[in-house]
Amino acid sequence: MIIKPHNPSDPLASEITPHSLYLKRRQFIGQGAALAFAASALPAQALQSREDPGSSGSPWLREQIGSARETAFGEDEVLTPYSSVTQYNNFYEFGTGKDDPYRYASKLKTDPWSVTVDGECEVKGTFSLEDLLKGQQLEERIYRLRCVEAWSMVIPWIGFPLADLIKRFKPLASAKYIEFITLEDKKQMPGQRSAFSTIDWPYREGLRMDEAMHLLTLMAVGLYGEVLPNQNGAPLRLVVPWKYGFKSIKSIVAIRFRETMPRTTWNDIAPNEYGFYANVNPQVDHPRWSQASERRLPSGLFKPNRIPTRLFNGYSEVASLYSGMDLHKYY
Amino acid sequence: MIRLRRIVLFLLGITPFLYIGQAIVRLQSGEWDILGPEPGKAVVWITGTWAFNFLLLTLAVTPLRRLLKQPWLIQHRRMLGLFTFFYASLHLLSYFAFLLEWRFAELGAETIKRPYLLLGMTAWLLLLPLAVTSTRGWQRRLKQGWKRLHKLIYPLSVLVAVHYLLQIRSSWFEPVLYAALVLCLLLLRWQKATATKHADGHNS
Repeated sequence: MIIKPHNPSDPLASEITPHSLYLKRRQFIGQGAALAFAASALPAQALQSREDPGSSGSPWLREQIGSARETAFGEDEVLTPYSSVTQYNNFYEFGTGKDDPYRYASKLKTDPWSVTVDGECEVKGTFSLEDLLKGQQLEERIYRLRCVEAWSMVIPWIGFPLADLIKRFKPLASAKYIEFITLEDKKQMPGQRSAFSTIDWPYREGLRMDEAMHLLTLMAVGLYGEVLPNQNGAPLRLVVPWKYGFKSIKSIVAIRFRETMPRTTWNDIAPNEYGFYANVNPQVDHPRWSQASERRLPSGLFKPNRIPTRLFNGYSEVASLYSGMDLHKYY
Repeated sequence: MIRLRRIVLFLLGITPFLYIGQAIVRLQSGEWDILGPEPGKAVVWITGTWAFNFLLLTLAVTPLRRLLKQPWLIQHRRMLGLFTFFYASLHLLSYFAFLLEWRFAELGAETIKRPYLLLGMTAWLLLLPLAVTSTRGWQRRLKQGWKRLHKLIYPLSVLVAVHYLLQIRSSWFEPVLYAALVLCLLLLRWQKATATKHADGHNS
């Protein structure tokens, strides 16, 4: 079964046991089954009374997410609790504090939503989210997420391979890169109204075509078995698990196939600190801190949950994409 | 009256510490996400913010006393200064304990990567003699030297402001606000000093 967040009124085992005794997924599934049984006795309304902003989503999306299939990705990982995944976010559109997205993202209207596709491809136009997802089998994948700030999480995403989406637009041979753009709307995104931000909105990210087509590259529409909460990039976001988190752009409204490398937001702000590739690499430090290790969240106070960082965040199957490339130069 | 004011000020000053203390107790007794998923960072952040707040308040006493014509304000400067030292020490200690995790062998490498660490630690070292000599006894013993020694608070404030500015990633509002306040408070003194000099010139 798909991993679900717990009902807020029930304590999650991770909240009442020390971190060292954190649940393994297998146990988590068992607990999930127990919860599902307990939940079946509750009225549906109680189940939907979530304290999180905007996590409802439209019925068709909920239904599609509900029929996602399980995969073997990350089945041995210990999950980061739902509350940390949804209350500790970098989504500067809603503010620079880690809990700003959780506090302010409820203003974001994700339904209806559409994505504009153009550039070096045959099929162009503006597509509703429903069109983009029509007939698309969703799956659950548990991925590690490594932030460039040296913390990491393990998240059960619901999504589908970006490659599936790309094929529908029939990119031309001239399409060497793919560019993504986040919504820009000062009314819904208070962080974009800030006069003190160095970001030139909208947020932009990009991938090389072969990276975008890689099996691991995911378009996510949900997490923990339900619709993506707004603060996690609803309704449609990218997840590239072998790259630093800022590459995994949220709330996408435009996709453009390009012949040339697109500008990307953090690379624009500080090219010496954030590269276009941004592959997780313990050998290449950020100029202001080491990338050799990471704090796997949640971290304890006296016992920080520090683990060594792995090349490509442990996803060694992507190494062939970069064979012959100097990863110190193309960080 | 002064006693009452001191008690009130002390209670206000100790409040952030009590807040952190109860949060840590609750954290350790099972409320694991009370300070968010990175509690160590949160504690370092809160103590640093309050150290800087008290530093600004300490620096503000003299100009405020003049502007508001409230000479009694000076009676509370020592406590404000000691709270600055108290929170700065907690800030440094929580950095060592929660972020550096006592791996002092890595402090050198960390400091090269993050020059703001060096600025912060230097500022604390400059603060130390000020806290030690804050008593009346030391004031008497050092005579004129005491005033000169305590002028260290000016360079120290600049270090602290830069320590914060160097950590800007995207939003520069708060670091710039704090730096601007330091600058204002220092400029007020410079202005006063030059004004006094001119006045002296006329008198002679």
